[in-house]
Amino acid sequence: MKRTTYILIAAFVILTTILSSCAPAAPVAPQVITQVVEKEVKVEVTKEVIKEVEKQVEVVVTPTVAPTEAAKEIEGFPAADENEAKTAKAAWDAADKGKPDPAWKGKKFTIGVYSAGQRGAISGPTYFFRKNFEQLTGASYDIVEIPFSEMREKIATDFDTGANQYDMIINCSNFYGDYINNDWVQPLDPFFEDARFPKWERDSISPQVAGLYTWGGKWYGSNYDHDAMIFYWRKDIMDDPKWKEAYKKETGEDMPATMATWEDAIKVSKFFNGKDWNGDGAADQGVTLHLKVGGQGFFHYMAFSAPYVVLPNPGDNPTKVTKYNNVYWFDPDTMEPLISSPGHVRALEKMIELSKTGSSAMWGWSLGEAWAQFLSGKAFMTFSWGDVASLAEDKTQSTIMGKWWASGLPGTNEPYSFEKKAFLKLDKPNMVAQQVGCSWHPVLSKKAKNPELAYYWMALMATPPINHWMVTYGWTGVNPGTTYDWFPPQGKAKIEDYTVSGWNENDAKANVQAYADNFFTYPIWQSYLRIPGTTEMQNMSLDTHVSEAITGQLSAQDALNRTAEDWKRVVDEYGKDKLLKLYQDSIGYTPGQ
Amino acid sequence: MKYTKIIKNILIWIVIIIATVWVFFPFYWAIITSFKMPTVILTKPSLIPFLDFQPTLRNWEQEFGNRWPEISKGLGNSLIIAVGAALIAVTLGTMVGYGLARFRFNRWKNKDMTMWFLSQRFLPPIVTVIPFFVLMKNIGLMDNQLALILANATFTMPFAVLTMRDVFRELPKELEESAYVDGASPLTAFVQIALPLAAPAIAAAAVICFAFSWNEFLFALILTYKNAQPITVVIAGVEHTQGIQFWFVATRLLLAILPPTLLALTAQRYIVRGLTLGAVKG
Amino acid sequence: MQAKSRYKYLFVVPGIIWVLAFTIFPLLYSLRLSFFNARLGKPETFAGLNNYIRAFGDYRAWDTFGQTLFFVSFSVFFTVSIGLGLALLFNRPMPGRQIFRSLFTMPMFVAPIALGYLGLTIFHEEVGAVNTVLRAMGMVNLPRWFSDVWTARMAVVLVDTWQWTPFCFLVLLAGLQSLPEEVYEAAFLDTSSSWDIFRYVTLPLLSPVLFTVTILRLVEAFKILDIPFSLTSGGPGAATQSYSFFIYLTGLRNFNTGYASALSYILLFVMLIISSFFFSRLRKNFEE
Repeated sequence: MKRTTYILIAAFVILTTILSSCAPAAPVAPQVITQVVEKEVKVEVTKEVIKEVEKQVEVVVTPTVAPTEAAKEIEGFPAADENEAKTAKAAWDAADKGKPDPAWKGKKFTIGVYSAGQRGAISGPTYFFRKNFEQLTGASYDIVEIPFSEMREKIATDFDTGANQYDMIINCSNFYGDYINNDWVQPLDPFFEDARFPKWERDSISPQVAGLYTWGGKWYGSNYDHDAMIFYWRKDIMDDPKWKEAYKKETGEDMPATMATWEDAIKVSKFFNGKDWNGDGAADQGVTLHLKVGGQGFFHYMAFSAPYVVLPNPGDNPTKVTKYNNVYWFDPDTMEPLISSPGHVRALEKMIELSKTGSSAMWGWSLGEAWAQFLSGKAFMTFSWGDVASLAEDKTQSTIMGKWWASGLPGTNEPYSFEKKAFLKLDKPNMVAQQVGCSWHPVLSKKAKNPELAYYWMALMATPPINHWMVTYGWTGVNPGTTYDWFPPQGKAKIEDYTVSGWNENDAKANVQAYADNFFTYPIWQSYLRIPGTTEMQNMSLDTHVSEAITGQLSAQDALNRTAEDWKRVVDEYGKDKLLKLYQDSIGYTPGQ
Repeated sequence: MKYTKIIKNILIWIVIIIATVWVFFPFYWAIITSFKMPTVILTKPSLIPFLDFQPTLRNWEQEFGNRWPEISKGLGNSLIIAVGAALIAVTLGTMVGYGLARFRFNRWKNKDMTMWFLSQRFLPPIVTVIPFFVLMKNIGLMDNQLALILANATFTMPFAVLTMRDVFRELPKELEESAYVDGASPLTAFVQIALPLAAPAIAAAAVICFAFSWNEFLFALILTYKNAQPITVVIAGVEHTQGIQFWFVATRLLLAILPPTLLALTAQRYIVRGLTLGAVKG
Repeated sequence: MQAKSRYKYLFVVPGIIWVLAFTIFPLLYSLRLSFFNARLGKPETFAGLNNYIRAFGDYRAWDTFGQTLFFVSFSVFFTVSIGLGLALLFNRPMPGRQIFRSLFTMPMFVAPIALGYLGLTIFHEEVGAVNTVLRAMGMVNLPRWFSDVWTARMAVVLVDTWQWTPFCFLVLLAGLQSLPEEVYEAAFLDTSSSWDIFRYVTLPLLSPVLFTVTILRLVEAFKILDIPFSLTSGGPGAATQSYSFFIYLTGLRNFNTGYASALSYILLFVMLIISSFFFSRLRKNFEE
């Protein structure tokens, strides 16, 4: 017995050592597997979902050819199919390349990005374009994936300890508070006139997002992702006369033509909740949301509450930030938190009301679980990021291709006025855009060993052809946000850009339209919090207390009062005066207005 | 009378079956989840393969395919850390155990010393995590397996100390006494006589130290970020911006449980004693 | 014998020094830090007892501590009682008992962090295993596992119980099997009631082992962090945040290390008080 024990242990140790030392050899082959996966999946679905295929016959879907064996690199891209490689090549060729400096040959830099893998959102493009970048410049880069939930901690630790592993980080916009406060990143303006670097059109970027890429008038970030939440619903069901009649019968009112206000959305969601409107014999849901603590539920609250709190500046300049207008987080003169003001409380109460028109389980759902309800056709509406739109095109997950529509988020007719200290009653709804999320984009470390080389990559990815290409291929995780992405007259895009990658025409239009609403049409927008302490105030305090209110542990007012107390303490700990100045800079407020 | 006995036996067996199902269900669930398509996991209640859902190899293919560098690095790091920690803990712990079992200490009594080692298990790891973070930062051991080896060796040493102390106390002293008569030093007696006799127990203590280090999460999360991430942190990496990848949770859970379980199966005899820090004989 | 006295130090000193080095320094550092206002990116400022005062007035600290007590008491209760029941059941001649014993160690070797994530799919309110089975059994108002405060807490307890009941089972079974036969034979002469035998013979004889198992479980349960981290992220709200998890969030997510150190020391203090109740009893176990 003793001997066999030792032999077993020894064998095991040897085996695992061998297995683990196999690892380094693997890197090159990986992309192969993804392709095989896609093929296998297609076969399976057609077996179960024959009905769907018939319905989609008229839809414009360029067939993605599934090769019988593992995909090879096409045109230097680890592409899923010919179309993807062809369009990527076209974008690559069209992009301005500047003049790569020969001194860069053989040099390397390191990118830090959140962990999503080689075909994952945001991190995927870094792998996708690497080979061609190497051929173009003779230089290369390492990609370090960081688990998303630890990203801020890891990056802060890296800078703080002086490890300086990352030359460039594809970061979340709300890290800027720490970056600027600690002087960890460098401005990009010096590179703009340098002929070596590609030109990327800063003016084409939606001003809201451009605001996130800049600080104090200087550019720190380059064009990449443009985040906002948009409003999705099942247009096919809502337009159905049968349901319009049923609505009239049940409520005595006509079904709203569009859900322009949250109040309308709540009514409609309430109506559809619990009814079997998808014909599967089971009761379906009205709305689906990801309200779990730590599941990015606080973004829901931020997006939902914007129209209740943010009012335009009267007159010619509606976006001007004054003491009472276009503010959301703190009083711009005193740094008092506004989070417990009546507008916020009303918004939270309304959001709780909305969340009750769906499965109660949503209070514990994070993204995957919540989205799955809408994508599998069980929920009537949701509001979230563009991932829902691109996932709707994935037949392995979605049964709703072509059946939905999207718009910017609803507003409200009864926002709160800080100036008048009362709720207003408007004739037309107050519509407020937002940029909730991260708008992941690259920033350049001050201690980068090869800053110019790194910036070259940043600029190349930021050029309109390449960035637009990323928008058209949903798996990259990049949402529309520039004039190259909108359709005329707002922009220059063509529907074929989207359908060639497999987008259903209806869905592509819906997605783009919704983002255009948010980034282009809405008159004002919610400011984005980027001061030190943002993560603690937003991701931790607000997230937890909103969840407490939603699950009935506290009233909305109490929850937001607690949030305000937390925020006051954080502000005091960082230094109220310092934070006030940073806050004013970040929202573009000059005192005395 | 006989009926009641039969019924009693049947009831007992029913309870045993229920208990077994309860113990094994999560493993069964992990196995079938690893063969499910991602959407099925979130939208269809499915307990029986082929009946409720179509199994697929997709998740495993990805784990062994384009995810393999990440996974194997995690497993490799876990191995280095767990083996290193177990080695140190067992080496030092066995020595301490022997010392406490064979010799009398006067200034600091044996039972007090033993209690002191035991009390290390009472220390919540969270109390020492921040200082460790600062310490490793300052001596440049951040993101290095050595940091975790040092930490885990410290936390698991009590298991080794108390187990081995107990085992050595049971060993009859005669063999060593006769060695002393022959002029051997205590060290020789220890190495040549006591150690071989206690070998199975040492193996069990090593397995316990290995397993606890293997599954440790908090320190691993804090002290590593790229190169030295053990498998527990790789498991936590399933939390993505697009949600939690449950299919990878299942595959990684299964991959991660193999080493400790296999090792434990080989060291059955002394496991109970080790886990109870010597209080209960297996 | 005299020659040996030098050697005895050789055996114990390395281990002692190691543990001292890696616990004394962290403990002292943590103690010092608890008297300062320390945040990442800001220089420290002396705060005296402010952090401790703040902790005693912090509703979140009290709530999470109470939640931890809840987890500890229910988890210990369930694991020990179910473990005892199973041990009694299995304490009879039966085929394959060795195999059961070996296989029942498996839950202890699952990484708790992985178990928590898996638990999300098992307890999923719509499609998870638990509710599917409950629904099939006819239950109408299925527990809303993660959206309701108490069911979320129970979910954490259940996962922890699942993982550690086998441990209690193994230890108690070993304890039962080491009980002397003669006592039982004598007892059978007096009574044939199994309940009486259990109550008056087994339980008293088993009490040292029961005591050990309960203490070990209690001490380990106080540290719970991995499972709330992965299963509920402390939610809904902060209803399942354990005290250790709260300290982690304070010190290592918000980087408020001074306050976190003070909170840790309070926990340490509580652990010392609890363990001092048992120290003397435990110490006796280690008599020569």
